Amino acid sequence: MTAPVFAVVGHPNKGKSSIVATLSQNDAIAIALEPGTTRKRQEYPLTVDGKTLYTLVDTPGFQRPRRVLAWLEAHSISASDRAETVQAFVIQHRDDGSFTDECELLAPLTEGAGIIYVVDGSVPYSAQHEAEMTILRWTGRPSLALINSIGDDDYSDSWLRALGQFFQVVRKFDAVRAPFEQHISLLRAFGQLEPAWEQPLEQAAAFLLAQRRQRRTEAAALIARTLEDMMSFREKRTLTTLQTSEISDTDLAGQLRTSWYRNQRKREQHLRIAIEKLYEHHRVERQEAELEWHSEHDLFSEDSRKAWGVNRRYLATAGFGAGAVSGAGVDVLALGHSLGAGALVGGLIGAAGSYFYGDRLALPVLNTGVLTNGLRTATFGPVQDSQFGYVVLGRAINHWWHISHRNHAGRELLDLAPAHNHWLEHLDRASRQTIHRALERCRKQRALDDKTRLALASAIEQAMDAYDKWRLNRT
Amino acid sequence: MPDSGIRQLLEFDSQVKRDSDQSPAFLHRRDRRFALDCRDRGLSPTPQRWLEHVRRLRPPLPADDPLRPWRRLTTGFALAGLITGVIAMLGLLFYDGGQRINLTVILAFVMLHCLLAVITTVQAFAGWQPWRWLLRKLKGTGTASALRPLQPMLMARAAHTGGLVFGLAGLATLLVLVVVQDLAFGWSTTLDTGPDRYYQLLATVAAPWQSLWPAAFPDRELVEATRFFRSNSGGTANPALWGRWWPFVAMVWTTYVIIPRLVLLALATIHPGIRARRELARHPGMIALQYRMETPALDTGNRHNDAADQPDINTSGQLHPLPAGQVLIRWAGAGEPELPDTLAAGYHLILAAGGNAALAHDNEIIETAGKTLAEARSPAVAVITRSWEPPTGELADFLQLARKSWPATTVIALVPLAAQPDQPPPDHQVNQWLRFAERTGDSRIIVSTPDMISPESRIHRALQDEYRE
Repeated sequence: MTAPVFAVVGHPNKGKSSIVATLSQNDAIAIALEPGTTRKRQEYPLTVDGKTLYTLVDTPGFQRPRRVLAWLEAHSISASDRAETVQAFVIQHRDDGSFTDECELLAPLTEGAGIIYVVDGSVPYSAQHEAEMTILRWTGRPSLALINSIGDDDYSDSWLRALGQFFQVVRKFDAVRAPFEQHISLLRAFGQLEPAWEQPLEQAAAFLLAQRRQRRTEAAALIARTLEDMMSFREKRTLTTLQTSEISDTDLAGQLRTSWYRNQRKREQHLRIAIEKLYEHHRVERQEAELEWHSEHDLFSEDSRKAWGVNRRYLATAGFGAGAVSGAGVDVLALGHSLGAGALVGGLIGAAGSYFYGDRLALPVLNTGVLTNGLRTATFGPVQDSQFGYVVLGRAINHWWHISHRNHAGRELLDLAPAHNHWLEHLDRASRQTIHRALERCRKQRALDDKTRLALASAIEQAMDAYDKWRLNRT
Repeated sequence: MPDSGIRQLLEFDSQVKRDSDQSPAFLHRRDRRFALDCRDRGLSPTPQRWLEHVRRLRPPLPADDPLRPWRRLTTGFALAGLITGVIAMLGLLFYDGGQRINLTVILAFVMLHCLLAVITTVQAFAGWQPWRWLLRKLKGTGTASALRPLQPMLMARAAHTGGLVFGLAGLATLLVLVVVQDLAFGWSTTLDTGPDRYYQLLATVAAPWQSLWPAAFPDRELVEATRFFRSNSGGTANPALWGRWWPFVAMVWTTYVIIPRLVLLALATIHPGIRARRELARHPGMIALQYRMETPALDTGNRHNDAADQPDINTSGQLHPLPAGQVLIRWAGAGEPELPDTLAAGYHLILAAGGNAALAHDNEIIETAGKTLAEARSPAVAVITRSWEPPTGELADFLQLARKSWPATTVIALVPLAAQPDQPPPDHQVNQWLRFAERTGDSRIIVSTPDMISPESRIHRALQDEYRE
C-alpha cells in the first residue's frame, strides 16, 4: 500500500510553508511574508526505519485561479469528467510556463494526494478564493481546510462558514503557536479523510509521541551532565617559581576568575545548542542574559536569586533529606542500634547547614598548592554556592521549555526572560533531595557514579514536569 | 583472552564518550540501522557485534592499552612479592646455631598470610578501596571512569599475584636453605600445653596432605623429641631429628600460602571479567543503545533546507501621491462594502474587477475604462486592492491587458487598503505592492497610500509632472 500524500495548497502567502515546517519539524524551510517564496513543490516524507508513513507536499500558491477554472469549464462536459479535466490541464500546461504555479500545486492532487487547503484566519474572508476552492473540488480528492492565523485579528468565523461549503473537514491550526498535542490531533484528522489513511497516520502519531517523550528524557540527561560539569568545574593553572613571584594572588585570582566565567558560559551555551539540536531547531536566535557575575544578571545577585534560586525553607528541607541519607549510613553501621538517630542528626545538620549557608554568597576561591619541583598549581573553583546549581538548572529548564514548545514555523527571536516565581517548589520531595545531594557532591568535588547520574537525570525530568505544570497554571 | 570483558567495557565506554557530541538523531539512525541489519542476517545485536560494526567503519586508532598501568602495578606487586618472599623466608628460617627455628612462629606467619589473602578477596567483593591513595599516585589506573567499579577487583588481582610470587619465592628459599644449611626446627610455646595437644594441632594442619606425602606428616615421637625451651639451649634430642621437620614446613607453606593464593588469584582473574560484563549491561550508554536499537528511527522530513533561498524583499520603489484620475477600479472586492469618501470622490467611473467575477467581465471593465480615459487629458486610474492579499498573476494579467487597451500615458496607481480602510496599511504589506509595481517594469504603474482621514488629501491630490511626460 502506498503511503498517503497531502498537498498543502492555497492562496499565496497564507502560511502553507509554515504548516509544513511545523508538522515536519523543519526550521530550514524558507518562510517569508512574500508571495512566491515557495516556487516549486517540495516533498516532506515522514519515515519510520526508511518506510514512509505519509508525505506532506509544500506547494506554491494559486496565481491565476480564474483562468484555470475557465480552462477547466471550457474542457468539461459533465461533473464526472472533472478530475480528468484537471489532469489534462496539468499535462497541457506543465511545460509552457503560463501556469507554472498551478501545475506545481495541482500535480500531486492528480497523482492521488489529499488536499490540505490553508487560509489566513486573521484577514477577512474574500470571495476571490472561491475560484481556487472550486478547482480543488474539481479534483475530487479528500480535502481538509486549515484556518491558520498569521496576524492578530480573528475572522475565523466567516472563514469557517465559507470553507464548510467546499471541504469535508475544517480545522483551526496556528502553525506558529499550536501546541504539540494539536499537531498530533491534526495528523489524526488527516487520517480521517480516507479509511486507508487512518492506520499510517495513527502510527505516525504514536511514533511522534514516543519521540517527544524520548527527547524529554534525553534533554534531562543533557541538563544533568551540564549541571555536574558546571558545579564541579575548576580552573587550574600551573606556575613556575618566576611566574609565581611576578603575579600577585589578587591578579592571579582575577585571571582565573575571568577564565572560569568564560568556560562556564561556554558550557551553558553548549547545552543550549544541544537541546535545540535535539528538538531539530537549528536556527534559533536567542536573547538571554549570559552568566555574568558582575553584571545586572549576576548569578549571585538578588535578582537572579529571586528568578531562579530557591528560598531558605526549600534548601533546609532538601538539605534535611540529603543529610538524613548520609546519617542513615551511621544507623546501618550501628546495625540499627542507634534507632535512626543517625538519620535524624544527619538530617538536622544538613538542614541547618543549608538554611544558614544556603543564602550566603560563596564565590569560588583561589587555592594555591605548595611549591613542588619549582612548580605551583593554582585552582579556582568549584563554586561553593549550591544556589548556583539551581540558577543553572532553572535557566536550562526554562530554555528547554521554550524550545520544546516552539514550533518549527516560528522564526521570532527566542526571548528567555527569567521566570518570577520559585517554580521548583512544585517539585516532589524525593526529586528535590536527589538534586540537592548531587549538587552537594559536585561542590565537594566528589565524582558522581552512574547510578547517581541516572537518579539526577530522572529528578531533572521530574523538575521539567513541575516546570511545565507551573507554566500551564500560570498562563 | 582473560581481560576481554574489561576491554569490551572500556571500548564501549570510550565509544559512548565519543558519541556524546553527536546528534541524537544521527545516533538513532546509525544504531537502528545496525539492529535492522542484524535482524536481516538473523543475528542478535550484541554489544560485541555493535563494537565490531563501529570499529569496522572507522580508521584504526593508535593502540593504547588502558590496562597497561594495571599490568605495571601487577608486575610491581610480583617483584615486591619476590623480594619480600625471600626476605620473609630468610627471616623465618634464621638460625644462628643457638635457638631452634620455631614451628609455632612459622604456623602463625602462614595463618596471618592466609588471613590477609582472604581479606584481600573480601574487600574486592565488597568494593572497599583502602589503598585508593596508592592509585592516585599511580596515574592512569583509574582515569577511565568505567574502570572505577573494577578497581577493587583489579587491585585484588595484583595483590594475589604478589602474594603468589611471595609464596613461591618463600618456598624456593626454604628448599635452597634445606640443601645448603642444616636447619634445626623445633617447637616452643609459653602456653601450658603438652606434646599431645601440639601433635593434634599439627595433625589437623597437615590433614590435607596426610595421604599424599606421609613423610611430611608429623609423628608423635618427633613432636615429643623436638620441643625446646629457650632456657635449655642445648636440647635433648638427637640433632638429626631437628631437620626432619622441613617436609612438613614446605607442605604448610605450599598448602596455606601458595595454594590459597593460587585459587584466589584464579578467582580474581575471572571476577573482573564477570563484573565488567555486569557493568556493561547496566552502563547508561548501553541502556540508551538498546533503546535506539529497539525503537524505529523516525525522520519527520526535516532534511530539506532552503532557508537561505529567501526572496529578495528589498525594494527601491517609492510611494507616490495619488494622481487625480478619472477611473477607480476595485480589485477583487477591495473597498467592500463601502469605499471611504475621501478616496471615492472625484472619479467619473467606479468599477469592480477581479475576485470572483468572470474573466469576460474584467475585459468589459478594461474596455469601459478605456473609453473614459481616451477622453481625458491626463488619464489616470486608481486600482484599489486589499493590502494583505498578495498581488497575484491575475492582477498582473489584468494590468497587462489594460495597458494595451488604455492610452499609453495612463498612470495606474495601485492603492492597497488596510482591513480598516481609514488606517494606513502596515509597511510589509505596502512593500509587496511596491515590489509588484517594480516587477512590471512599467514606470507608469505606481503605488499610493493616500491619507484616508484628512479631507484635504483629495483636494491636494495632483499628478506629478514626470508621469505626464
